[in-house]
Amino acid sequence: MNKGLWIEGPIKKGILDFLNGLLADQKIKAVLMPAKNKGGDSYAWFLMEKNGMLDSADPAPPVMTTQGANVVSYLTKKGPVWEKTAVLLRPCEYRAVIELAKIKQVDLTNLVLISFDCPGAFPLEKYINGDPKKLDEIFDTCLEKQTELEGARNVCTICHRFSGTGADIEIGLIGGKGEGFWLVPGSRQGEELIEGVAGSKTDNLDVRENAISERTILQETKRNNMLDSFQETVMGPENLLNTLSSCINCHNCSRVCPICFCRECYFDSKALSSEADNILQRAQRKGGLRLPPDLLLFHLGRMTHMSLSCVSCGACEDACPADVPVSMLFALAGRNTQAVFEYEPGRSQDEAVPHTVFKFEELKDFETPYIKEYSKEQ
Amino acid sequence: MDEKKEFTPSIIYGLCSWCGTGGSETAGAMHLQYAENIRPFRVPCTGAIDPVYILRALIEGADGFAVSGCHPGDCHFDSGNYRARRRTAVLKSLLDTFGLDSERVWLRWVGHGEGKRFADTVNEFNDHIKEMGGNPLAKRRDT
Ligand code: SF4
Ligand code: SF4
Repeated sequence: MNKGLWIEGPIKKGILDFLNGLLADQKIKAVLMPAKNKGGDSYAWFLMEKNGMLDSADPAPPVMTTQGANVVSYLTKKGPVWEKTAVLLRPCEYRAVIELAKIKQVDLTNLVLISFDCPGAFPLEKYINGDPKKLDEIFDTCLEKQTELEGARNVCTICHRFSGTGADIEIGLIGGKGEGFWLVPGSRQGEELIEGVAGSKTDNLDVRENAISERTILQETKRNNMLDSFQETVMGPENLLNTLSSCINCHNCSRVCPICFCRECYFDSKALSSEADNILQRAQRKGGLRLPPDLLLFHLGRMTHMSLSCVSCGACEDACPADVPVSMLFALAGRNTQAVFEYEPGRSQDEAVPHTVFKFEELKDFETPYIKEYSKEQ
Repeated sequence: MDEKKEFTPSIIYGLCSWCGTGGSETAGAMHLQYAENIRPFRVPCTGAIDPVYILRALIEGADGFAVSGCHPGDCHFDSGNYRARRRTAVLKSLLDTFGLDSERVWLRWVGHGEGKRFADTVNEFNDHIKEMGGNPLAKRRDT
């Protein structure tokens, strides 16, 4: 396979030129990517055709507004797109798209997934209420130089899957010293699209690959250390419930989560609504009851359902009005449940979500063995 | 010690309607005695027990939750018990992650004819939970 193409010059402009070229040559019919709003303080996704490319389109925005996988799911849930459409995604958005494709919430037919080396994102609220111009500058410098993004969301500072590995086309910035970028094909389709694009062919990506491995090791250590110390602060009923105590039960976190795809959520369903009588009984048993109830049930329950596929994108925490560290809680939960199955969400489309498959011989540690004859007269 | 003896835990026992329930019937037919504070929760298959049911029981007052159903290979619906085992693994890992006593949840297969194994499991789990003491979540108002 073609190793890749090096394109020198300003990065965002180069990416847009590449996309416009593909549109002009009719190699793709449309592009789905974020564009800045008129007010200049946020972004939204747009599906753009040849003559409809917005000047404000931004392949790598400094914030994550709607999680890209949700947008792709809206687009293809009821069937594939008919013509080739390129989608620009952060690495975590790309991984969520792969998770959703596994559970048939995304149809990948005709989609060209493009991802890039992501330096992180600012908290949405901080961006909207801050000084977007200044933050744009900071972000763009970090994107080019691939340095640490100061003020990034917590979950971004411990991201260990920061490159677009696996996408049809990977936009490689790490190792490029800010002088340009590589277009690295990850599939046959990606290779075809890069064919004929102006740039210099590379047959050696060692600089980039070494830099990625190095950073991966650093970030993995940082992630584990930070999650370990975070865990200490949330262990046990007292700590955990204190951490969740500001939650207002709005369920925003699950609504914006790309992995929480169910159209009818158990936690919003009638199954959890009960008569006053029943609630009073619960209050009696507990000596009082926080209302609305089922706070812990919602968070832990959601974890049992989807933490295996949590891609640590942080959309949940961006959407939380009450400053609950939701994405850290889910990053911690995900790390530990995924480890049981050596599963990594979004790594490969061929890796089934652990809840959907099983092995005959496994997980003996989670069964309680019947070792002794426990007979005795009661 | 005396105090612990007096403590009667509230225990829910999730049983599939084939082997799990069958085991309890066999225990009955064999006139085996087992702890009476067990509340059976009958489901079509262990694979139908969403971890959320277990969580809900533990949060709302249960001190322990055991799950029993057909041995691997014997599931009436072919693979429900393998799925139950995966869900239990996820649930127990989460309880461990947040320091919430994963040992309050047990998964142990019990076949239709295994009355003794059923009665033993009930008694062993009951003693085990007595030993652990009351579930702190059950008494918290801020759940
Ligand atoms: S739980 Fe939060 S971090 Fe995980 S996938 Fe959902 S939105 Fe992203
Ligand atoms: S978004 Fe925040 S406040 Fe709303 S349910 Fe989730 S954690 Fe609670």
